[in-house]
Amino acid sequence: MDLPGRETDSMNYDVLVVGSGIGGMESSLKLGDMGYKVLLVEKEASIGGKMILLSKVFPTLDCASCISTPKMAAAAHHPNVDLMVYSEVEEIERSSRGTFNVRVRKKPTYVNPSLCTGCRQCETACNVAVPDQFNASLAARRAAYIAFPQAVPKKAVIEKEGSSPCTFTCPAGIKAHGYVALTRSGKYDEAFNLVLGETPLVGSLGRACYAPCEGECTRGLAEGAVPVRRIKRFIADRYYQGHRQPVYSSVEKTRGHKVAVVGSGPAGLTAAYQLALKGYEVKVFEAEPLPGGMLRTALPSFRLPKAVVDRDIENVTALGVVIETGVRVEKIGRLKEEGFDAVFMATGTNKDATLGVKGEKLEGVRGALDFLGSVNLGAEPSLEGKTVLVAGGGNVAVDSARAAVRLGAKKVIIQYRRGREDMPAHRWEVEAALSEGVDLQAFCSPVEFNGENGRLAGVQSVRMQPGEPDSSGRKKPVPVKGSEFTTPADLVITAVGLSPSTGDFEKDLKLNGNGTFKVNPETLQTSVPYVFAGGDAVTGPSMIVKAVGQGKRAAYFIDQFLSGESLEGADYDRRLGPVDQKAVLGRQESLSRLEPVAEKEIPLAGSKGGFNEVEMSLTEEEARYSSGRCLDCGVCSECSQCAASCPAIAVDLGMREEKRDLEVGSVIVSTGFKLFPADAKPQYGYGKYKNVITGMQMDRLLAPTRPFNAILRPGDGKVPDSIAYILCTGSRDKTVGNPLCSRVCCMYSIKQNQLIMGSLPLADVTVYYIDIRAFSKGYEEFYNQAGGMGANFVKGRVAGIDEQENGNLVLTYEDIDGGGVIQKAEHDLVVLSVGILPNTDPFGLFTGVELEQDDFAYVKEADEDVNPGKTSIDGVFVAGTASGAKDIPDTILHAGAAVAQAAAYVERIRRGK
Amino acid sequence: MSDRRIGVYICHCGGNISDYVDVEAVREAAGREAGVVVAKTAMFTCSDATQQEMVEDIRENSLDGLVVASCSPKLHLYTFRDVAKRAGLNPYRYTQVNVREQCSWAHTDDKKGATEKAVRLVRAGIARTSLTDSLEPVIIDTVPRALVVGAGIAGLRAALGLSDIGISVYLVERENAVGGRVAGLGSMYPHGRNGNSIISQLVSEIGKRENIVAYTGAEVVEKSGSVGNFNVKVRVGGDKPQFVDLNVGSIVVATGFDTFQPGNSEYGFGTGGVVTLDQFRELLDRSGGVPAYNGKEIKSVAYIYCVGSRRDPGVEEAKAYCSRYCCNAAVHASLLAVEKNSRIHQYHLYRDMRTYGRYELMFDQAREAGSIFLRFGEDAPPVVSQSAGGGLRVSVKDLLTFGEEVEMEVDLVVLVTPMKPRQNGGLVDVLKLPLGKDGFFNEIHPKLRPVETVVDGVFICGSCQGPKNSSESVASALAAVTQAASLLKKGYVELEPLMAVVDRDICRWCGECARACPYGAISSEEIQGTEVASVNEAVCKGCSGCTPVCPKNAIDLKGYTDAQVKAMIEALAE
Repeated sequence: MDLPGRETDSMNYDVLVVGSGIGGMESSLKLGDMGYKVLLVEKEASIGGKMILLSKVFPTLDCASCISTPKMAAAAHHPNVDLMVYSEVEEIERSSRGTFNVRVRKKPTYVNPSLCTGCRQCETACNVAVPDQFNASLAARRAAYIAFPQAVPKKAVIEKEGSSPCTFTCPAGIKAHGYVALTRSGKYDEAFNLVLGETPLVGSLGRACYAPCEGECTRGLAEGAVPVRRIKRFIADRYYQGHRQPVYSSVEKTRGHKVAVVGSGPAGLTAAYQLALKGYEVKVFEAEPLPGGMLRTALPSFRLPKAVVDRDIENVTALGVVIETGVRVEKIGRLKEEGFDAVFMATGTNKDATLGVKGEKLEGVRGALDFLGSVNLGAEPSLEGKTVLVAGGGNVAVDSARAAVRLGAKKVIIQYRRGREDMPAHRWEVEAALSEGVDLQAFCSPVEFNGENGRLAGVQSVRMQPGEPDSSGRKKPVPVKGSEFTTPADLVITAVGLSPSTGDFEKDLKLNGNGTFKVNPETLQTSVPYVFAGGDAVTGPSMIVKAVGQGKRAAYFIDQFLSGESLEGADYDRRLGPVDQKAVLGRQESLSRLEPVAEKEIPLAGSKGGFNEVEMSLTEEEARYSSGRCLDCGVCSECSQCAASCPAIAVDLGMREEKRDLEVGSVIVSTGFKLFPADAKPQYGYGKYKNVITGMQMDRLLAPTRPFNAILRPGDGKVPDSIAYILCTGSRDKTVGNPLCSRVCCMYSIKQNQLIMGSLPLADVTVYYIDIRAFSKGYEEFYNQAGGMGANFVKGRVAGIDEQENGNLVLTYEDIDGGGVIQKAEHDLVVLSVGILPNTDPFGLFTGVELEQDDFAYVKEADEDVNPGKTSIDGVFVAGTASGAKDIPDTILHAGAAVAQAAAYVERIRRGK
Repeated sequence: MSDRRIGVYICHCGGNISDYVDVEAVREAAGREAGVVVAKTAMFTCSDATQQEMVEDIRENSLDGLVVASCSPKLHLYTFRDVAKRAGLNPYRYTQVNVREQCSWAHTDDKKGATEKAVRLVRAGIARTSLTDSLEPVIIDTVPRALVVGAGIAGLRAALGLSDIGISVYLVERENAVGGRVAGLGSMYPHGRNGNSIISQLVSEIGKRENIVAYTGAEVVEKSGSVGNFNVKVRVGGDKPQFVDLNVGSIVVATGFDTFQPGNSEYGFGTGGVVTLDQFRELLDRSGGVPAYNGKEIKSVAYIYCVGSRRDPGVEEAKAYCSRYCCNAAVHASLLAVEKNSRIHQYHLYRDMRTYGRYELMFDQAREAGSIFLRFGEDAPPVVSQSAGGGLRVSVKDLLTFGEEVEMEVDLVVLVTPMKPRQNGGLVDVLKLPLGKDGFFNEIHPKLRPVETVVDGVFICGSCQGPKNSSESVASALAAVTQAASLLKKGYVELEPLMAVVDRDICRWCGECARACPYGAISSEEIQGTEVASVNEAVCKGCSGCTPVCPKNAIDLKGYTDAQVKAMIEALAE
C-alpha cells in the first residue's frame, strides 16, 4: 500500500481520479501503466466501489470478487498510483495553465494505517452497531470496522459521525454514549472505568446527577430517553459490590510539584483525582468534618446514601491524595509558603440565600443547606407532630420537604411561586414527594413570617399569577392583590438559592459582584497565576456534573501551568460537534418501538423515619434493555475499547482530519451512481414488508461474503421457495421522476435468477417485466439460459403488493400475455430490481468553472459522438456511470475512453498548449 | 526427500471453493508433502491482506517455491507471481492449482470426490514446484508506432487518439475512401449530428497530423514478429498493387460489421415495398421533402423488428444474438420520418423494445409522435402479403391487446435487421484472431480485458467485436488506444520465458521440431560446425508442439519440462 507520504505532497500528479469503483480503478491502472502519476481518491474506507459487493456478474457469471480483487490489489501496489481512501475531494479549481488545484480532505480514521495489521480485534471489541452499508443494511456493522473481507487497504477505520448528543451535552465530558454501549455489551467494569476516567464520583453522579444527557437523547424524540443516569448508577453499584476498595494504589508522584485543592466537593475531588493521576502530589483541605461538600451536606441520604459518597471519595484517596478535614483555609499565601506550587479553589456555595421578607431571623426559619446539613449529620431532632413549610421549587426544596416527612412532620407544605411544571426539581422527585404526602402549593409565595416571642408561629403568603415573560422566557409570577393567607407553621425552610462565602479571599483574588471568584472562563485561572478556581464558587450554584467538569478543566490547565506550557490556545475541548438527530433517526432502516423502563421508587414504609435510599436500581436485565435502546447517534461511542484491544497500538482516538493541496494535470470523475431508494415506490412496501428486498440486497445474500450463510428472507429467516422479481422498479417510471432505463436491472435480475436456481433447485423464480433488455454481447444467450433453467418470465406491471400474516406477499399484476386479466400471485420473497440514479456529488466540487449536468443530473458528456467521456470542462473527463447508467463492460470501455483523452490532455499541457 | 522450501495456500474463495472442497483436509494433505514448510488456508488468497501474509511467509521462511490452490490461472496467475516477486522469490517458482473451476465448481454433487481431486491436483502442483528453476522474462523493446486496420469511425478515432499521446499511426483501409458506414449517414441518435459531418471533422483532423499515415484501397497481407515489434506487409492498390512493409508495436483492428440481408422470401423481401432499415435510412437521408418510395409519398410504414436476430440460428442464417443497436435505430428512423412527413402512420412490430438507457427517451418521443407499437411473440411472427389495392398487408397477433389479430395496410415494410460479423477472411488468417460463437472477433474477457485478444499486442474495437452504435464504437476505440498506449508508452514488453529450449549437445538437426512449430520460431544454426535447432524467443509461444516430436529428446519447454510434467503425473496417480 502506497499511502501518499510527505514526499508526494510537493509533487504534482498527472491525473486525479475521483472515485475508486471499477471505472476509477480501471482508469488509474491504465494511466499508471502508461507511465502517468495518478492519485486515486476514495471516500469510503476501501477502494472497490459497488462491484466488489456483488455476487457474480453477467453474462459470464464471474465472481465479482475475483474480477475486482486483482484490480484492487493492483491499484494498491502500482508504482504510479497513490491511493487516498476515506478521503474526499473538497474543491477543484482550474488554473490558468490548464492544470487543476485540488484540495483533498483526509477524514480521520482514528487508526494509524501503518501500524494496523487488519486483525479486526477492534471490531470485536467495539460495542456499537449501525446498519452495514456494505451489506445493503441487511446486517449491522461496528463503528470500528474493516469495510469487507477483501478491503484494500485492509485497515480498520473508526467511524465518528460526530459527538453523540448525550456525550456532547455533558458538562463533565463524560462519555455517556460510551458507557451505555459498554453496558449493552455486558461490559460493566469497562463501563465503570470509562466514567472513572473522567471523575471519581461515579456512584454519586449515578444518583444525583441532573442528567442533561437524557434531555438531549435522540430516543427522547421517540418513545422516551435512554435512562443514562440510572445506567450509570447500575454500573457503579455493581462495581462497588464487587470492589469494596479501588483496585489501584497510590500513583507515583513523578511531577515534582505539589497542588493544594481547597474544598472537597465535586469540583475539588475531581480536580484532585485528575491531578493525582497525572503524577502530582495533591492535598485537599476541607473545612467541614467530613469530605464531600454538597454531596455530603446538601443531598439527603435517601437520595444519595453517604456510603456511596465515601466509596467515591476512596477512588481519590487511593491514588495517594490526602484530604485534611476540619481545616479552613483563609490565606492562599500560606499554601504557597507550605510549598504548594498551584492552588485550586473549589469552595462552593455554602451559604443559604435569603427570601428578603420580614421575619426571616425568627427562630424556626432556617436555610435549606443548614437544615439538610444537620439532617445528614443526624443532628436534627424529630419533627413529630410539627408543620413544616418549605419555600422554593428546586431539588433542594423538595429534598428538604421529603427529609421533613422522614423526620415525622405532621404536615409538610411546599410553596412555589410558579406553576408545578416550572419547578426546577426533577419531575419524579416532585411526584415522589407528593406521594409521600407533601402538599404542594404552586403559585404561592411567603411574604412575611409571623412570630411569637421570637419564634415562628405562622407564614403569611400571597397567591401569584403568571405575568409577562421574563428574561428566561418564563412568565414572571406577579402577586394577586388581596389574596394573602396565613398558614400556621412550626418550621420554615427557605430553599431559594445559595451563595459563595469567599470573603476571606477578597484581598488575594478578584471577585465578581455576586461574590464568586473571577476567572478566565477557559482556563479557570484567577487573578493570581498559580491560583485556579472552579465549581459553584465560580459558576454560582449549579449542577454537580458541571462542578465535576470544572474540576477536570482546572486539572488540565493546572497541569499546563505547572508544565510551563502556554494556557492560551491549549487544546482542552477536542469534542466533535454533535450529530444531526434527524439524520440519526433517518438512518434507522426500521426503528422498533422500545418503551422506556419506568422510574421506580421504594414506597416510604409505615415508619416515616426511614432515610433509606428511595430510588430502585435498574436490574441487570433492565440496564441491558435500556442501553439497547440507544441509537448510537455519533456511531463511535468513544468507549475506547478498540484502543484497549488493539495489539498493534494503532488506534489513535485523537486523530484530526488533514487537508492536502495538490496540483494535477487532469481529472477523471468516476463517482458512480446511486441506487433508486425502493421506499419511493410505496405500493411495493419496501421498508414496511420485511420480505420485500432490493436487488442489491439479494446480491449480498448471494455473494461469497454474504451476511448469512444462506439465501433467506429477512422477515423470518425462512429459505424462500417462490421468489418474485419486479423489474423497472424506479426506472422507466415518470411517476418517480426517472423516465430512463437503467440498463442493468434486467440482466442482474436474470443473473440472480440463475444463481438462485443453482443454490435453491426447488425454488420458483418469476420475473415480472415490461421488456427484457438483454442487448449486449452474450446477453440474449444469457437470458435464454435463465429461461431454460426454469425462470418464469411474466410480461406485466405489478400494481401493488399486500402482505399476508405469514409474511408471504400477494402481487397484483396485469397478465399481458395471459389475456390481459388482472391476476394475483403469492410469493414468499419479492426482489425489487431497483434502478440507477445519478450521484450528484461531483457537481459541488468545481469552483470557477461549471461541471455541467444533463437533464437527469448525470455528468454531461459534451461531445459523446466523437469524444465520449469529455465533460464541459477542458481537462476534466468522466468515466463510467457518473455520466449515465452502464453495465460493467461498458463502464470499463468508457473508462478506457476517458483515460485516452486524459492522457492526451496531459501531453498537451506538458507541451504548454 | 526434497530440499525445497515450499509454501502452499488453499483458498476458500469465500465459499466458492470451501462450500464443496474440504480446504482444511487439502491443507493437511499438502502439509505432509516433501518440501512443504508452510501450508495455510485463507478466505481470499487474492486479497491484499493474504498477499501480504504470503510475502511475509516467503521472506521469514526463505521459501523457494510457492503454490496457491485457488481459481483458474487465467484470473490470478499474475497476481501470485507478483506476490512472489515482491517477496524476492523468482515468479516462475510459482504454480497455480485450479481447485475452483476443476473441483468445487465441477463437482458440486460430490464433496468427497472434489476434495480428493483437489488433494491430488495440489500434490501435482507441489511436484512441479519442486522442480522449478528461476527464469527471467524475455524483454523486447517496443516500437512506438501502431497500425490501425479499418478507417471507419472507430479506426479514425483510434488513430487520432494514438496520435494525441505521441504514438505514430499507420491507418489501413480496404475501401478506396475512409469513413466507413457512418460517412454515409445523416442524422444520428442520440444527438442528431450528421454522420458525414462527424467523419469529415475526423478526417480533416487526421490530415493535420504528421504522425498519421493513411493507406486506402489497402489490405494487410502478412504479419510476423510479436508484441511490441510486428512486421506487417500491406498491399496497396488494385490492379498494380504495391507492397509496403510496416514495423509497428501494436495493431488495432476496427474492421466493422456487415448488415444481415433477409432471405429472398422472408417477409416479402425482394418484392416491392419491403426494404431493410439501412435502405429506409438511405431513403430518408436522401429525401429533401416528404419521403417517397417509387415516386409515391410514403403514408404508412410497418417496421418489423428482430428480422434475422434473436432467432434459432438454424433458420436462414439467422442470428441467435440481440444486435443491440437496431431497436434504437428503428425508433430513431421513425422519428426522422415523422419529422419529414408529420402525416405518416407508423407501426412498430417488435418483440422486446430494447431502447436501453437514455434511448428510452426516443421510445417515449416516438409514441408521442404517433408511432403505434405492437408486440409479437417469437412463435408468431407477422405475415406480409400483397393487398388487393397494390399495397402491402401486414397481419400480426398483438400481445399488447391480448392476442388480437391486427391487420394493417402500409406503403412500406421496413425489416429491422441485425449487424453481422464482417467477412474478413484474409485478415483473420493473417492476424490469427479468434472468433466468438457469434462470429465476431472475441476479446479475452469482457470485463477484465475487453479490447485485448489472445494475440498479444493485437486489439479489437468497434463493431468488429459485436454490435455497437457509433458512440459506443468510439468509446471502445479509445479504450483500445489506452490499451495500446499502455503497452507502447512503457517502451518494452516482457515475454513469458516459458519457451522451447534446445539441448545443443544432443540435438542433431533433423528439422522435425521446425516442421511442428506453428509460429515459425525454429530454424537451424551452426554451432561449432554442428547444425542444431535454434528457437527465436520473440516468436516462440511456448505451445510445446515441438517437444514430443524430437527423436532425440533434445528440445524441452522451460517452465513445463518433461521432468516436471512427469513428476506431476506421478503425483496425480499416487
